[in-house]
Parts: sequence; C-alpha cells; structure tokens
Amino acid sequence: MSQPALLHSHSAAFLPSTSPSRRASPPASLSSRRRRRGVVMAASSTSTAEATPAPAGLKEGIAGLYDESSGVWESIWGDHMHHGFYDSGEAASMADHRRAQIRMIEEALAFAAVPDDATKKPKTIVDVGCGIGGSSRYLANKYGAQCSGITLSPVQAERGNALAEAQGLSDKVSLQVADALEQPFPDGQFDLVWSMESGEHMPDKRKFVSELARVAAPGGTIIIVTWCHRNLEKSETSLKPDELNLLKRICNAYYLPDWCSPSDYVNIAKSLSLEDIKTADWSENVAPFWPAVIRSALTWKGLTSLLRSGWKTIRGALVMPLMIDGYKKGLIKFTIITCRKPEAA
Amino acid sequence: MRLLTHNMLASNIRGVTAGYPLKLEATNWCTKEVDLNADFIRGLLPKIDWRALVGATRALGLPELLPEEQPAEEEIFAEGAADVEGSAIRRIHHALLEIHVQQGALVCPESGRTFPIDKGIPNMMLHEDEV
Repeated sequence: MSQPALLHSHSAAFLPSTSPSRRASPPASLSSRRRRRGVVMAASSTSTAEATPAPAGLKEGIAGLYDESSGVWESIWGDHMHHGFYDSGEAASMADHRRAQIRMIEEALAFAAVPDDATKKPKTIVDVGCGIGGSSRYLANKYGAQCSGITLSPVQAERGNALAEAQGLSDKVSLQVADALEQPFPDGQFDLVWSMESGEHMPDKRKFVSELARVAAPGGTIIIVTWCHRNLEKSETSLKPDELNLLKRICNAYYLPDWCSPSDYVNIAKSLSLEDIKTADWSENVAPFWPAVIRSALTWKGLTSLLRSGWKTIRGALVMPLMIDGYKKGLIKFTIITCRKPEAA
Repeated sequence: MRLLTHNMLASNIRGVTAGYPLKLEATNWCTKEVDLNADFIRGLLPKIDWRALVGATRALGLPELLPEEQPAEEEIFAEGAADVEGSAIRRIHHALLEIHVQQGALVCPESGRTFPIDKGIPNMMLHEDEV
C-alpha cells in the first residue's frame, strides 16, 4: 500500500507547546476507509514550536492496523503486545520471550516504586492503549485492583474482554473503545496510570501526558514505556536526514505520528508539575526482541498467518528490520518515564 | 458493560462541564453471577459515586436494589454480611459487577450526545468537532 507520508520533514524537533492540537478535518471519503488502498493524510508544514495536529485518518489507521493484526500477534506471542526485558545475551525460546514480557511489566513497576502492601497498592488502574488487555489483566490480578483499559480498536476491546471473562477477571477488568487524547474519565480517578508502548501512537505528546496526569489520582503513579528518538545534542535543531528518513519509513508502516525524545517527555512532565520524574534508557535490555519477532514471523505458522491477515500486518512485518537498524544506530531509544501526581493540597 | 464501568465513565466533549454521570439507556442487558470479593469492593468503594450507581440501577428498572443513601461502611462490611441474602454488600456486589449491559447507549447529560454500547463495549470516541 502506498502510504503517503504521515510526517512532515522535521519530525525530530518536536517541542512541547501549550496550544491545543488542531485536528485536520477528515476527508469526506473516510466512510469507506477500511477498503481504501491508502488513506490520504493532510500534509502539513508546521513550525517546530507548535504541537503537531493529528494527521487526518491516523486514528482510523491505528484502529484498522490493530483490528487486522491483533489476532496474528496473539496466536504467536500471546496477550502481551510489548517488548520483553532481557539481561544481555539472554533468551532463546518463545517461553523465554513471554517471560521477558512479564518481566518488562515488573521492571516498570519496580522502577516507579509502585507500592504493593495492602493499604498503599493501587486499587484503580487505567491501561492507556491497552491492546487486548495483557497488562490490564496482569495488573488487576497482581494488585486485586480494578483496571479499565482503552483502545482505538473495537476488535481488541472485544477480544480483551473475552479473555478477561475466560480468566475469571471480568469483574476486575474492562476494556473500552476510546481515545487516549480524550480519556472518557473524570479527573483524579486512578491510582496507577499505565501506558505500555502506546505513546508512540499519540500525535500530541503534551495532550497525551496531560490526560494521563488529569485522570491520575492525587499521589497516583504514572508509568510511560515508549519508543523515543535519541535526545538531540545541544548544537542540533533536528535529527539528521538519514535518521528522519528511517523513522519516516517505520512511521508509515505502524501508523505512528512524529516521535519525540526522552527529554521532551521529561520537560512535558515538569511543565505539568508532576513530581518524582525519572527516566531510563532500556534499549540494551530489549535488544533480543525484534530479532525474535522476525524469527517468529518466518516460521511456517508466522508466514501463513501473515499471508492470511492483510496488507497492513504484512507491511508492519516487512518493516521490522528497520526497528533493529534504528536501535543499532542509537536513533531509537526504548524509554521509561515515570512520575507522580502531587498529593491533594 | 458493567455498572462499575459506567460509574467510571464521563463525557469530555469540549465545552461540557457537567459530563458525569452519563445517563444509561439499555436495550439489552443480563446478569451473570460472579464471586463476591469483599476486599475488592472495600478497595473500590471510596471511588464509587453512589448517586451515579443508584441512577444506573433505576435506569435499568431496578428501583429496589439500592437505597438512595450509601449505607455505612460498618453495615456493608459487617462480619458475615456476605452470606446474608439481601445484605448491603451483596446488593452492591450485584449492582456493580453482575449486571451486564450488552446493547444500549450512554448519554451525555449536558449535550445529549449518545455513546453507543455494542456487544457490551462502550465506544467513547469523540467526533472531530467535539474535541
């Protein structure tokens, strides 16, 4: 599928902005978007100081990608749609990888120092960009908490709710279709606000983080694990052209809007008066993941599933070596950012 | 969609300041039994908006299920209450967790906009002109 560029050329120099993101109005033909060969994106040339407006059709593209590909992923990798956390040189079998995915969750909770004693552990959790609810079910089970998940994909929400029911967790876990940039919750609802590898899809990083902060309860913890590009050097105003080009190819396949850097996230958190802001680069700890995904795609089961799935999924698979490339070049950083909402005054 | 979920959802349409609680319209709902877990309910109760919960049960035609005012904690979590039919904790458990709305809608109380519930899943996506 020839996907016109989702990005404008200076995707790298995203700077947080206080202006709300302007949404481009969708083309009239969106009603038949699922059958179209390509969604026309509004090309935009913004100054680097403004928040990037969501490209028209981005949300539909994301929903479509996951509606199509979730089943394939689940059949091979199970219900966690995120990187595993590895010690260096580790991992061989699929069982190792699935264990590593669980470890990723635990490492993130430990990094954020989420309490697990009975009085202080989280009672209510939101899983932002929940996929089929792997994290939701894990966290609800771990803490005996209620977890609400939001996803753009109706197929994922349905599948995730069915899995929760099958696992006896339907009282604790419920997934809804909603937009992370307009979370359908009142303020201050959740003790733990969780975003595991969904930040990459958010076209307005500032709005994304401010919604996470809004729905966090006073004293609540916010955990973001996401793909960033490297921090810019002091002398740079943008990434190099070949770096931008590599990101653009990845973005087209995965329906990703502009990337930002770990520092951008930290600055946004600071500007929202969030506390205890911590960040780390876990790129080395996820290195075995993409080679493993590629190997799994090349198995008989992987190939046949891909061929049955659809173009979006296949294109996503073809672009996987670019992710490895990006990590090797130090361009892509697997990043964790955690912070706390201030206690009520 | 269980009423626990309904209790946590709000309308965030631009310009709406009173988007909670959402009015519940159910065309198809059922009940499914699930084990009562008192600790789980104890953890949740501080976050539950009682008025919204009562409103939802009334909207489903269950005016007798919950009292207007939230019962005292001592009554809800009294020793052995979970084994007493019709006790406060069993009613709360039933209301929050055992009622499933399969088809219907959630309505923004201020703007009247409806958010559909299909196969038990609310779709809270806003339109372009609502953000």
